[in-house]
Amino acid sequence: MNEFSPHVVIPLLLWGTLVGLDLVSVPQAMISRPVVAGTVAGWLVGDLEAGLRVGALFELFALDVLPAGAVRYPDYGPATISAVALGAGTPWELGLGVSAALGLVLAVLGGWSLQVVRRWNARAIQRRAAALAAGESSAIRWLQYGAVLRDALRGFTLTLLGLVLAATITDSVRLDRQTAVAFTLVAIGSALAAAASGTFRSSGRGPRLKWLVAGLAVGTVLAVLA
Amino acid sequence: MNRRLRALLRLFAVQGTWNYERMLGVGMGYAAEPLLEDLKAVDPVRHGEAVVRSAEFFNCHPNLAGLALGATARAEYEAVPGPQIVRLRTALCSPLGSIGDQLFWAGLVPALVGVTLVAIVLGAGWWAIAGFLLIYNSIRLWTSIWSLQTGMASGMRVGAAIGSSWLPRAVEWVAPAAGFALGLALPLVAVWYLRDFGWSPAIGAAGVAVAGIALTRWFGPALTSLRFAIMAMVLLLLFRRVGL
Repeated sequence: MNEFSPHVVIPLLLWGTLVGLDLVSVPQAMISRPVVAGTVAGWLVGDLEAGLRVGALFELFALDVLPAGAVRYPDYGPATISAVALGAGTPWELGLGVSAALGLVLAVLGGWSLQVVRRWNARAIQRRAAALAAGESSAIRWLQYGAVLRDALRGFTLTLLGLVLAATITDSVRLDRQTAVAFTLVAIGSALAAAASGTFRSSGRGPRLKWLVAGLAVGTVLAVLA
Repeated sequence: MNRRLRALLRLFAVQGTWNYERMLGVGMGYAAEPLLEDLKAVDPVRHGEAVVRSAEFFNCHPNLAGLALGATARAEYEAVPGPQIVRLRTALCSPLGSIGDQLFWAGLVPALVGVTLVAIVLGAGWWAIAGFLLIYNSIRLWTSIWSLQTGMASGMRVGAAIGSSWLPRAVEWVAPAAGFALGLALPLVAVWYLRDFGWSPAIGAAGVAVAGIALTRWFGPALTSLRFAIMAMVLLLLFRRVGL
């Protein structure tokens, strides 16, 4: 993105906060899926193509994640938004790789920040253990509001950090065309590897694997014909 | 606002206080509060005990939490002994987690994501995103309403209600759909990204993909796809700096 002006940054921060909240806390409406978060971010910065390309790329990475039980996973939502902000206004062949590099680092940070928020939630519960043991409904309510607020702050901070890094990279990093394209190709290859790994792992050896192979065959034929 | 509706809305934030000690426990307590309000007037002591039980350790798939919430709330009104309600909650954790994860995280979401990616490649743009959100959230909302109603209707017999419901059949049905949709999407998305680069760069990206699959499989959880991608980019940067 060429210009990080308030009328673009503020909506992105708001969107990043909502996306951060959606991943676990509320409402899990799937706006935190990278393809959704990225497309809306692309629309907000005025480059829908960048939003779709970056969003789809991170969606491939996210296919490697099965958020079951207490598993730890990266947070691709705010990361995708920052990556879109960085890549917008640049031909996607040149901007996608650098955007992906920023987004992947932020996704790791996002995953770590989730653990921090969960530990804070546990500490808050320990502090109110007596009230919980006494059956005070108000204690449950305040714990809930506090935890949602913490997660909102997490999403906001992560998006803010991502946008600051995106602005810094825009101002200070200059890659030659060959390196930028190489970055994009590595990002695409890695994303395809992540999606394929996740897809085959979740397919197991049952009937789902047969349907996956059938889908791959039809998809390959369509891709060749297209 | 209707108490059941308030509980339903609060179920959308059931993971709000997620932590490694009580997991969904406090979120369940928050969602249970409107359902338990009537108990306060009838039996204040029982109400206090019910509130304590509602916020204890619990974990399951968030979209099916309504089954446990409704069942335990009804059991509280039926004056089922407290330890029995605690056992019911504990017994529901694994099946609701397993069915929900298979149905939503490993089934419906990947299936819809696969279709959405195909639609984007075919030029649907915004419509693909809108369709994804509309379909997922319609199914999710319907499931949440059904879960809470079924839980409230069946109480301690919720296990039997789950076993005879549409859930196990849906799990069997959605898994092949997810496999097919993702299989369809992968080659189309790969070509969508790589067709503008020509053969040599595309083969290079395919090489990175093959290396990524092989290495992450070889090293297991120590080398996730995300770590592989970051490592590959760092290596690329180093190679470019030394002029390779």
